[in-house]
Amino acid sequence: MVAWGQDSAGVDGNSLEKKGKLESDYQHLRELFKPHVESFDYFIDAGLEIALMNIKPTEITDSSTGTKLRNILFFSSPDLLSPEREGGRKSMREPVFPYECRQSGGSYRGKFTAEVCFQYNDGAVIRETFNFGFLPIMLMSKLCHLRGADPRKLVFHKEEATEMGGYFICNGLERLCRLLILSKRNHPMAMVRKSFCSRGDGYTDKAVVIRCVREDQSAVTVKLYYLQNGSARLGFWIQGKEYLLPVGIVLKALVDSNDREIYVSLTTCYKEKYHRERGAVGTQLIGERAKIILDEMKGLSLFTRSQCLHHIGNSFRPVMGGMETESYSVVGDAVLRDYIFVHLSSNHDKFNLLIFMLQKLFALVDSTAAPDNPDALVNQEVLQPGHLITIYLKEKLQEWLSKCRRLVQDEMIKPNKNFDFYNLAQVKKIMDRNAGTVSRAVENMIKTGKLASSSGLDLPQRDGMSIVAERLNFLRFISHFRSVHRGASFARMRTTTVRKLLPESWGFLCPVHTPDGEPCGLLNHMTATCRVTSNFDSQGFVKDFVKIRMSITKALIGVGMTPSLPRLERAGPPEVLFVLLDGCILGSIVSDKIEKAVAHIRLLKLSAISGIPADLEVGYVPLSMGGAYPGLYLFTSPSRFIRPVRNLSHHSGGDTAIELIGPFEQAFMEIKCADGGDGGRSDSFPATHEEIHPTGFLSVVANLTPWSDHNQSPRNMYQCQMAKQTMGFSSQALKFRADNKLYHLQTPQSPIVRTTAYSKYCIDDYPMGTNAIVAVLAYSGYDMEDAMILNKSSVERGLCRGHIYQTETIDLTKKSDKSGKVLEIFAKSNCPDQNSELDADGLPYVGQIIHPTKPLYSSCNTLTNIPKTTPMKGSEPAFVDCVSLDGTTKSHLQKVNIRLRRPRNPVIGDKFSSRHGQKGVCSQLWPDIDMPFSAVTGMRPDLIINPHAFPSRMTIGMLLESIAAKGGSAHGQFVDATPFSSCSKSDGDSPSESDSLHDYLGRLLTSKGFNYHGLEVMYSGVFGTELACEIFIGPVYYQRLRHMVSDKFQVRSTGTVDQITRQPIGGRKWGGGIRFGEMERDSLLAHGTAYLLHDRLHSCSDYHIADVCRLCGSILTATTIQRHKRAVREISGLPPAKTPKSYTCQACKTSTGMETVAMPYVFRYLAAELAAMNIRVSLNLKDGSNI
Amino acid sequence: MEGAGGGGSGGGSGVSYQRFPRVRIREMKDEYMKFELRDTDASMANALRRVMLSEVPTIAIDLVEIEVNSSVLNDEFIAHRLGLIPLCSERAMEMRFSRDCDACDGDGECPYCSIEFQLNVRCDSDQTLDVTSADLHCHDHRFLPVDVAQRALAAEAAGGYDAPEQRGIIIVKLRRGQELRLRAIARKGIGKDHAKWSPGATVTFMYEPEIHINEELMETLTHNEKLSWIESSPTKVFDLDPKTDQVIVADPEAYTYDEEVIKKAEAIGKPGLVEIYAREDSFIFTVESTGAIPAYQMVMNAIEVLKQKLDAVRLSDDIQDNDDQFGDLTRNIQGAAL
Repeated sequence: MVAWGQDSAGVDGNSLEKKGKLESDYQHLRELFKPHVESFDYFIDAGLEIALMNIKPTEITDSSTGTKLRNILFFSSPDLLSPEREGGRKSMREPVFPYECRQSGGSYRGKFTAEVCFQYNDGAVIRETFNFGFLPIMLMSKLCHLRGADPRKLVFHKEEATEMGGYFICNGLERLCRLLILSKRNHPMAMVRKSFCSRGDGYTDKAVVIRCVREDQSAVTVKLYYLQNGSARLGFWIQGKEYLLPVGIVLKALVDSNDREIYVSLTTCYKEKYHRERGAVGTQLIGERAKIILDEMKGLSLFTRSQCLHHIGNSFRPVMGGMETESYSVVGDAVLRDYIFVHLSSNHDKFNLLIFMLQKLFALVDSTAAPDNPDALVNQEVLQPGHLITIYLKEKLQEWLSKCRRLVQDEMIKPNKNFDFYNLAQVKKIMDRNAGTVSRAVENMIKTGKLASSSGLDLPQRDGMSIVAERLNFLRFISHFRSVHRGASFARMRTTTVRKLLPESWGFLCPVHTPDGEPCGLLNHMTATCRVTSNFDSQGFVKDFVKIRMSITKALIGVGMTPSLPRLERAGPPEVLFVLLDGCILGSIVSDKIEKAVAHIRLLKLSAISGIPADLEVGYVPLSMGGAYPGLYLFTSPSRFIRPVRNLSHHSGGDTAIELIGPFEQAFMEIKCADGGDGGRSDSFPATHEEIHPTGFLSVVANLTPWSDHNQSPRNMYQCQMAKQTMGFSSQALKFRADNKLYHLQTPQSPIVRTTAYSKYCIDDYPMGTNAIVAVLAYSGYDMEDAMILNKSSVERGLCRGHIYQTETIDLTKKSDKSGKVLEIFAKSNCPDQNSELDADGLPYVGQIIHPTKPLYSSCNTLTNIPKTTPMKGSEPAFVDCVSLDGTTKSHLQKVNIRLRRPRNPVIGDKFSSRHGQKGVCSQLWPDIDMPFSAVTGMRPDLIINPHAFPSRMTIGMLLESIAAKGGSAHGQFVDATPFSSCSKSDGDSPSESDSLHDYLGRLLTSKGFNYHGLEVMYSGVFGTELACEIFIGPVYYQRLRHMVSDKFQVRSTGTVDQITRQPIGGRKWGGGIRFGEMERDSLLAHGTAYLLHDRLHSCSDYHIADVCRLCGSILTATTIQRHKRAVREISGLPPAKTPKSYTCQACKTSTGMETVAMPYVFRYLAAELAAMNIRVSLNLKDGSNI
Repeated sequence: MEGAGGGGSGGGSGVSYQRFPRVRIREMKDEYMKFELRDTDASMANALRRVMLSEVPTIAIDLVEIEVNSSVLNDEFIAHRLGLIPLCSERAMEMRFSRDCDACDGDGECPYCSIEFQLNVRCDSDQTLDVTSADLHCHDHRFLPVDVAQRALAAEAAGGYDAPEQRGIIIVKLRRGQELRLRAIARKGIGKDHAKWSPGATVTFMYEPEIHINEELMETLTHNEKLSWIESSPTKVFDLDPKTDQVIVADPEAYTYDEEVIKKAEAIGKPGLVEIYAREDSFIFTVESTGAIPAYQMVMNAIEVLKQKLDAVRLSDDIQDNDDQFGDLTRNIQGAAL
């Protein structure tokens, strides 16, 4: 049994008041975490099984006997269990709960088993269950014990009432998989890139690229390069190497066809009568290019399908593992199946797609179609955690199979062993040996974020796949799950194009919420309304994509699509537009009918019974002059971004008219803002859709800034940054947590001025600031340059008080020897004077204060029986908040968590900020009586900021907040400050709404006898005289940021020095100093302060007196002479007199030339280093008086 | 207000700045007081305000020894909350600061400088138990928490019935099985050291306004103009006489010196419609007490403290005369004068 803490049954006192809280209150919060949880659910429900089915069977051939006996291995019926107590008895299945894992530093993982099928030759299939170790289980996924628990049950299990899951617990740390941007799956993209030229001679910078994704989420990217001679090459990667095939071979190998058919298919998109018309993508060059492609085949003398397959098989057999004995045509088929357009199963579809891609490529070359921008969200999707784990696990299992094959074969070769290949038990024994590596690899991936993969899984990066879900405060925690990273490789790129905010990402990625600095524009956050399509339909069943595609095809044929099969002579754009569904050419629609067809499909999307999913993306790219390549691109795939908008053509209105749209289709849609206007649209392009609310394009954090529409935009970005650094109420289950560091605000408040998102996302459960009375005036001079003055009495009454909780985990088992014998136990010395501060068990008392260097705990070596105390780290006192013991070890207590609490009351140098990007540092704790006071109310401000903070920063929202909070508090009500709310009132009752906001706030004030503009007459606290002007004063919600001086200050006089240079070391952790560098040196030089310079750079640094030989000029040859020891008579009480050291020059063999010279020690080091390179440094010494 | 205009006899230069300030009490309750202070200047008024806020001594819990705390709040938090509970401090002026106390070493046993409180609460029911100021026990009933003392008085007046809706200032809430046991020592202190010792919730004063309406100009306004002019002041300073349709000053002290009416007059195009001056020598004080000391006592104590401070200045003046350091200097000056 585990007994964590002394009060394991005690639950937060607040929980009783939480009775009223229902799960539905947190529904919106849960929605934010769905991409993580749903994708992992899919992994559990179907993804794992599909991945196993897609693993290639492995064959082991017994070559020694000469007979072709085969053992074919493949997987079936995987089984993943909920987390259970490991090492317990089998009969007792005890669930492990997440909090136990957090406390004990364990992992929340479940047992993973699967059956491996063996088949000898054509014999019966034998199934054997293998244990693959423990896979990490995502919290709140279907295998998590907390799934579906209501807030009360969550609190009972020592979790947050809001617990949303979506992360893993590995070694006690909460980690989540990062959402990564990938290029859109199954969509051919025309690209122009310089690097394509380097593929070889004759290559141009143009290509069409498609990232094909299989049903099991593994991907293969295929590139179609354009050659200067008019031909094209198909490039694909096998085991980290790119292979290029002439496109003609692939075309011929895919289907039985003749040259004419290929020629006609290619030239469908060019008709002379449409030349240079709108939407004409083909030119007459296309015919010539088709000829070149076919001529190439002639040159290789490949004419038939079988010849082409044979050719491919011949070239690829060495790189296709496990196919060494197959015939060339089988290998050729396998190459086409496994590496070319893997998302399609039929070769006809692949052929059509390749033709389409060639046409697109030629259109790109002829500039009749524009290249697609790979940096635009239009061509992107997101990597979901569940999918990542699926493909990673698949690869690891595949690797395990091939490793097993190698091991079994090795075993067979060994002469002396009597290994029986036909004895299944023996084979299983070998295979069992490293079955655990599979899930260990997955766990390591989550632990370190590194992909240990040979193929790279067609992913853009190999590390940084997972991050720690810090609970610094609630917003930071949420933001981790909403963040989308562009890819680590772009962070090092010099160009800024990838970082640009493109209009395509409107409504999907928040334009405000991105950090400034290094990851700017690369680390984006999804908007509050943005979702990610999943493999689950709205009823929670796994989607059947085959069925969905069937019904879409049926619907399309109903609106006039000509299907691509049977193959007929076809037309191309602009006459007809091709219809692609998930990268498969379904057919074509005549361009006159297409608009109607699109509108029809959109209406079908909205109805639940049509069988067409609500998240279908209807990307209709209309005919244009040199724009994007036209066509109707439909996507049903998971991992796409979607967001809700209102469809205006749907007559019923209300919730049924909410359509989910993706970034691809959005670019070609007419969506109007919800302000009642039409956004300057002409009648020819009427709006078909409408935004639900104008704040829909902001992320959760950006949505919390009150009146952000009145602020200068960079200030809102700063606020998004600072909101995530705020010290707040980080966790309600604080008592049961063992985080390394937790910040906690003692007396947080709910903001008076708040947006609708504040209550929607239950931020009141984790408040993050204080409503401080802020006066805007220049007072005392201590508020210059963004400094702010805090009222000392307010701080004494508890304003912005906080704590830092730090947990120290002490694990004595780490010190034990290999046999696992207990070497050290917690114990206290019997000596009464020693460590009297500690309890009898060697651990500190709860609530006790521990001063620096005083013992934190005491332990005893079981062999020597010598007690030893371990001092507390850090230079400031701490309180013991909690001591929790690990009761799992049998004999002796070996592992404890000691949670320390460090008070952090506001002091000079601490950082604060309002919610409008106005940060400041506390410069003084000013006495209450010296603060200015209001004549009417006698109120003294809590905080004074300088009026200069406003003109250049233009944070009008903060001024509004001050007025509104003053009015709100006078009336006893919260004030809604949702941005753009004035323009969303579309009734048009007042034309100048922005005036009326100020009017409304002003009236709030005047009705309670305050000044309309929020000004008040104030008196100087020091003189009692009226201040020359009226002062703007009112409550503003202030956040305390986590940057505190007590964690940062650095001071040093003497101390540790560097071993080599003997200069003072840097770094606060080691008691180092702050570097006095070149620039600082320059300024001292400029001031002519020579002595100060000498003091800083020499006396206080590496002052050294060297002995230099005047004769040879060397500083390295000085050696001490051992004098004959004179018998020094020891006088009692006095230390023996030191014999003076004397030096001699080793080179000159004399001590006559020895002189002492003061110099920096590094100079001596330099001389030594140079000497090592055979360079002699010699000094010319001169007596100063002789100069 | 006898003798409070101290410092009048200072100097020796012959000119006396002595004034005789007058105080008129307008309103006086236990926790609230409003009075006029006339015939003095802003320095005096502000000195009084500052002393009331930060130098009138009170009693507050200063030292907490926690024996058992299994509540959800940590020890410092509870100690801080205890400190902020106002205690009846009418005896504070007679008590000693524990740093000056000769009779003890500040351990709380001393009757001259400290009072001991005990708190011992344990929740044994399924309902959340509120630990309040009423649970602070003290042998000396003169030092009860303010709200407890007031309720006791109110209960006496109401015939021994305790108002159930008032359970005192909540310190912490306890769940079943949680316990809080502590010993707290209250000491005398002043607001300058810590806000918990400040007896004043709000002390403010304003200059008495003098409002002159230019009646002639006012009569040129129409009825509606007058109304809108009156409305322009956020506070009800002016009013319209319903009979004579004349603008009258309804409440001059409601004026907040916001100059809204003057701006309004200019906006109408009638500058000089009204002239408002602040009287430099008359102040209207508003004093609100935390309850630790009655407002009246607070003012009186403030005057007492101010007197002590002035005495200290005078005393240090005398000392300086005899100061050895300046001995030569003063002798020289005096010698020269002689």
